[in-house]
Amino acid sequence: MPHVLTIAKRELSSLFFSPVAYVVLGLFGFGTALLFLAGFGPGAPAEMRNLQWSVLWLMIPLVPAISMRLISEEFRSGTIEPLMTLPISDTQVVLGKWLGAMGFFLTLMVPIAILVAVLGSNANPDFGPILVGMLGLLMVGGLYLAIGTFASATTQSQIIAFLLTTAMVLAFSPLAVLLARAGWVADRPWIKQGLFYINVFGQFDDFAKGIIDLGRVVFFISGTGLFLFFATLTLQSRRWR
Amino acid sequence: MNLLLPAMTLGMPNLDPGGVVSQTSRTRNGLDNMDDVPGVQRRSGVFRMIQADQLVKWFGPTRAVGGLSFSIPKGQVVGFLGPNGAGKSTTLRMLTGYLPPTSGSASIAGHNVLTESEAARATIGYLPESTPLYPEMRVYEYLDYRGKLLSMTRSDRVRRSAEVCDRCGLTHIRRRLIGQLSKGNRQRVGLAQALLHEPAVLFLDEPTAGLDPNQIKHFRELLGELREKHTILLSSHILTEIEKTVDRVLILKEGELVADGTTDELCGKVLGGPRVLLDVQAEAHAVHSALAGISGVREIEVTAHDGWCHAEVAPAGNQDLTDDLTKKLADKGLKVREATRRKPNLEDYYLQLFREPKDTANRATA
Repeated sequence: MPHVLTIAKRELSSLFFSPVAYVVLGLFGFGTALLFLAGFGPGAPAEMRNLQWSVLWLMIPLVPAISMRLISEEFRSGTIEPLMTLPISDTQVVLGKWLGAMGFFLTLMVPIAILVAVLGSNANPDFGPILVGMLGLLMVGGLYLAIGTFASATTQSQIIAFLLTTAMVLAFSPLAVLLARAGWVADRPWIKQGLFYINVFGQFDDFAKGIIDLGRVVFFISGTGLFLFFATLTLQSRRWR
Repeated sequence: MNLLLPAMTLGMPNLDPGGVVSQTSRTRNGLDNMDDVPGVQRRSGVFRMIQADQLVKWFGPTRAVGGLSFSIPKGQVVGFLGPNGAGKSTTLRMLTGYLPPTSGSASIAGHNVLTESEAARATIGYLPESTPLYPEMRVYEYLDYRGKLLSMTRSDRVRRSAEVCDRCGLTHIRRRLIGQLSKGNRQRVGLAQALLHEPAVLFLDEPTAGLDPNQIKHFRELLGELREKHTILLSSHILTEIEKTVDRVLILKEGELVADGTTDELCGKVLGGPRVLLDVQAEAHAVHSALAGISGVREIEVTAHDGWCHAEVAPAGNQDLTDDLTKKLADKGLKVREATRRKPNLEDYYLQLFREPKDTANRATA
């Protein structure tokens, strides 16, 4: 575990070293503030559901931008070689990378937390559903970043990693819903159910409503674990080639 | 001229028999102190720190390394030579556990690099080719990061970081960003991280690439200090550097080991004896035709510069041709400025090794 934290810390500070990080942070903060203000005024419901759904959509291009360089950059620059010849395991490397990216994602949530405080000082919202919604966003972020870590381990090109992650993230939400409604799955209920199950937006819905369903939590944690496992396998696969 | 100059100027010091004796005794001292290294294999009383058994590596249809076997005892400094694409870096990557061999096995300090990978990796320090580093980190941050991943305690990290910075000449730039350092300084950072945990075995892939002559000299001095504590396998293109610093040379050709021995042993295999070097005031073809007829001459290389020719003559046997050559040139009325003898060096052996197929091909086309 100390090794995982060491790698995570380096990853996080390396993310913050790039000016892109501050641009992303600024744009995200500005965008969420605008979205918040759009639904903020006398008589409007004191809740964050709409904003959280908007953030969920924003995450589709945003999270792949955070995760694209995680491992691909190590391959491109060759730093993977001194890293992998240290007495540490591939799993520790993958976990450290993911955790570092999660650290950056948590920073992105700070502007939303500020907006929650603004809402709290102007109205009397029910904080329970808002916090559960935030937990849901973290769960989705964790899963998307795990997908991004996996994609980043497959290539040394950040662009390919970005596109691959975006494609997979899309497949896990809007595409899954579209496919589930297509005609050819109408007489195949198990495919339909499967597609609805992997739909991240559907899984997030309960969190947005303020409900913590153990099944949903298990979905996100196991999904995250599965993609981190795939990332580890991809990293290990160079040993079989 | 390019071909001959390094051989002329840098070949001689290595032939000092005293140097060879002291190297041998140093190796022996290293072997006597093996009790502190657990799990090190013995074979016929020799402790093998690096052991490669029939290492083979294929990249798709291309064979990079084919059936490579060698063992290196503790305390030995071994130079890895060969042209580009000979499989040097691939072999180092297999020994450091970065790449798995297609077949065969390797062990470091008795730990199999595949089955006991982490234990093997804990005993090595590795400077990969082209020294990949994180440009956004400062030198001391990077060393501390590596130290943490090597499970060093905080006090060890502070102490060793200061020691390796001092040793590698990084103390004054330890707060600088790695991305802002010159190639030579980055190379030093790479070396410092490899030395950080005082590993029993050091793998250095092209450690002097990008260094200026002064830095190369410092590196050689550093290597002289390191050989007391470490077993070192270093690859290089610079033959003179290898010749001056190593106890033993391994030469790879197309993934196979074609030579293994001390510098003296390999130099002894160079065809013919000491070469004669001549500086003659004449056209190149005149010098060549004057010398070609002399019996006992195996090979002549002539390079012209500013009306003077530099001729290097290799004898067929061990005889001294100096008198015959100078007499013949004088008879032809050519002015000789200098005539010296040079014992064969590693470069002669290397060229002999890699020129043979070409000569055969030339003969075949002729």
